[in-house]
Amino acid sequence: MLVSTLKRLAQSVPIMIGVAIVVFVTMKLIPGDPVAALLGPNSTPASRHALTERLGLDQPLPVQFGSWAISALHGDLGTSISLQRAVGPLVVGAFLNTLILLVAALLIALVGGIVLGTLSALRPSSVLGRFVRGFTLFTISIPQYTVALLLLLFAVETGLLPTGGMVTTGQSGPGTVLVHLVLPAIAASITPMGGIARLFSTALSDVLHQDFITSYRARGLAGAAVLRHAVHGTIPALLNITGLQVSYLLGGTLFIEVIFAWPGLGQLVFQAVSSRDYPVVQAGVLLSALVLVLVNVVVDSVHAAIDPRVRA
Amino acid sequence: MTARLEVRDLNVSFRRGERVISAVRGVDLEAGAGRTLVLLGESGSGKSVTANAILRLYGRSARIDGSVRLDGEELLSLPEKRMRALRGRTVSMVPQDPSAALDPLRRVGDQIVEVLGLWGVARGNGAARRIAAGLLERVGIAEPERVLRSLPFELSGGMRQRIAIAIAVACEPRLLIADEPTTALDVTVQAKVLDLFAELQRANNMSMIVVTHDVGVARMIGHDIAVMYAGRIVESGPMEQVLSAPRHPYTAGLLEALPTPGIPRGELRAIPGRPPGPGEAIPDDACAFVTRCAFAVASCSAHRPRLEPVGAGQSAACDVIDAPIATAFSADTAVVA
Amino acid sequence: MSADTVTRTIAAAPAAPRAARPRMRWGSETIAGAIIVGGLIAVALLAPVLAPASPTAGDIGRRLFDVGTNGNILGTDGQGRDILTRLIWGARPALIGGITPVLIAGVIGTALGMIAGLAPRIGRSAIMRTLDVLYAFPAILLAVAIGAALGPGVVNSIVSLAVVLIAPIARVAEAEVLRVRSADFIDVARASGASRALIAIRQVLPNIAPTLIVYGTSLIGLAIVYSAGLSFLGLGVTPPEPDWGQMLNDLRQFIYDRPLLSLVPAAAILLASIGFNLLGDGLKRRLEVRDGEALL
Repeated sequence: MLVSTLKRLAQSVPIMIGVAIVVFVTMKLIPGDPVAALLGPNSTPASRHALTERLGLDQPLPVQFGSWAISALHGDLGTSISLQRAVGPLVVGAFLNTLILLVAALLIALVGGIVLGTLSALRPSSVLGRFVRGFTLFTISIPQYTVALLLLLFAVETGLLPTGGMVTTGQSGPGTVLVHLVLPAIAASITPMGGIARLFSTALSDVLHQDFITSYRARGLAGAAVLRHAVHGTIPALLNITGLQVSYLLGGTLFIEVIFAWPGLGQLVFQAVSSRDYPVVQAGVLLSALVLVLVNVVVDSVHAAIDPRVRA
Repeated sequence: MTARLEVRDLNVSFRRGERVISAVRGVDLEAGAGRTLVLLGESGSGKSVTANAILRLYGRSARIDGSVRLDGEELLSLPEKRMRALRGRTVSMVPQDPSAALDPLRRVGDQIVEVLGLWGVARGNGAARRIAAGLLERVGIAEPERVLRSLPFELSGGMRQRIAIAIAVACEPRLLIADEPTTALDVTVQAKVLDLFAELQRANNMSMIVVTHDVGVARMIGHDIAVMYAGRIVESGPMEQVLSAPRHPYTAGLLEALPTPGIPRGELRAIPGRPPGPGEAIPDDACAFVTRCAFAVASCSAHRPRLEPVGAGQSAACDVIDAPIATAFSADTAVVA
Repeated sequence: MSADTVTRTIAAAPAAPRAARPRMRWGSETIAGAIIVGGLIAVALLAPVLAPASPTAGDIGRRLFDVGTNGNILGTDGQGRDILTRLIWGARPALIGGITPVLIAGVIGTALGMIAGLAPRIGRSAIMRTLDVLYAFPAILLAVAIGAALGPGVVNSIVSLAVVLIAPIARVAEAEVLRVRSADFIDVARASGASRALIAIRQVLPNIAPTLIVYGTSLIGLAIVYSAGLSFLGLGVTPPEPDWGQMLNDLRQFIYDRPLLSLVPAAAILLASIGFNLLGDGLKRRLEVRDGEALL
């Protein structure tokens, strides 16, 4: 299994290079002359020329890409225009905070989604089943920022939970983080929960209709044992959608973080967009995409470990 | 000899959305102890549904009425827990599709051991694996250890079918239901498996119900036969008698379609038309076979014939035929009185 | 028969065979979705007639009235503009921002998917792997990155969303083409020497179209949400033009005093999204029954 994981990692390298190229291209898309923007309208042609040379902007594009990529690999992603700090540590630090939010949201979404999906699969025509289906339609349609706003409203009106930030000023440690985590995590988990519930319901239904399930019952296995085996059969599909949901979450947390003032990558990117701090925007997107590629490698490897047919 | 399995007026219907589909109607069957009953019919005739219904495998998705008695015990009214205790041990089934009989994600050995533990046949992993290996050898699998460690998709269809059979007979059930048990097997393995069934019957007085569409297999394997069409039994009785002296046009048609030595292949006559598909509505007040029957008369569309005894343990559901129908098959075999 | 004549014969022949369509009842989902979508389109088209006030001119003296105030039934925003009016006018950028990217990405993605699906293994790998790169980005972040680079504005927002949607559509198209490719009638067409392009258009496209239309419909719902999201972030529709996402961001700051105001545009976005999702779901259900028969 280790070998195949390494092989998959190796196969993902071209994609990661592609990702870097796309990010680089978007940087180059920015209209206007960056040098003129940096030096201001009163700059002389000489100073502009000097800066252009120093920044390497007169080199052919592939060379520019190469040097940018190499510095990026060393952790040097430039300097934030508005904050005047190194982009690398800034982005990574923010990302770790997003990671906390993401993991929490994913856990909630998985648990909720599996429970709802099971209900919907086992009792499709009952009132509960129809309610679950309606609920999941609602959750996949509702934009994340709407859910976040509603929960924020709840916090504001009831005062039960904090309305923003990651820690209460003056406090530190996991306790205060957890309290602040509750609402944003729930907000982020709603839409993925709907998606997971729908998929799990279909997958479980499909598995339950397969003949080997009938064979299990013909051998006298109790309902609970049969269900356990059926769920085992849905894990491949579940893994697939987890990868998808992580992709969705990486983007969706942007709005959650903005609304709840959670100091993660999303909020950083949002502020950078507002202040035209392009190095931060590009670095943030680059990091997210690379993480996503790695997550997919992990998901695929686990999938192969569980489903022997994939390995063949 | 009292019948091991007695089925009386069995009705199985399913709900598809708003419609109710009747798959099995008014079926009467008997399987004697130590005897094999063949349930013969084309696909869609309701034979597999009958088999599944006896084991009550449909749960809530089907409505089953009637009576199914195993050694006098009424199965249809048993609490589910008690029925579950019977499944696999007392009444067991070999499914139709060998590739679907086994969980694709688990090793064969794990699946067999699980079931052995459930049935109380073996305590402990080591003992269970030894018994499992023995079971596989019994169905003619060489290298049972290797097979136990394998995953289903690594094995051939025939191998998987044999494993399914091995599991089904592990507890030496009183009644074995086999749905197309030999379709996936080649001739030599087929012979071995049929020998195994025969041996079990002799040793334990096991009853068998074999569901098939193949008259050749039916003849090889069965003592008695019941022919199904559109959810009903149209003819039944001792095997040789029914085959050599059929009293229902459908049975005769099936026999005519058989390759028989002496008849050139080009002259085989298939029954014109096709049987009703699943979900097709079948009128209750006419003979369902009327559209394909060479002997049909006007009254066949107005009145549904009942299954009536026609002598020597044979019954047929036809109002028109009153003597054995001569077929190329019957010309070839001696008539058994 | 010359190859020419054969090709013309194929071209003259009726398009891909489809089994007789059984009469299907439109599900309640489809009808509900169609009503919502139809309503949205009607509101967008009739905006000048329906709106009670001006969308851009505000009365500072009447700012931040709550929902349910007499005269401004859905309240007024920070600049005194009537929210109901802005909501109605906002239907236009919502629909444009949702439908246009899907159309553009649909054309490009379908073309790419068809080329990939009908191409030999190497070509297909090359195209799909390239698209995989786009797939590696979380959709919103890619849209933000492109949008940030291009700057605010409706056109830029449409472009970034279209780029993001090309890869998923191409994937679905390619999978469908592969499924259809092995069907008998394709072999018949190919055996008679018809050119690949002709096969693609007359035979393959009609068979993959239904799935793509269903997928596209649900993507419109998604695109509406995303384009509102981009406006929320300051990319996309620029003030003072009304846009639901932008209204959401604008009203967010008043959440402590006038919490209900920000729910109004949120509800509108949600309704639009549900509408298109219902429509897509309903169409899918109708399609799934047909699917098994389409290739008989």
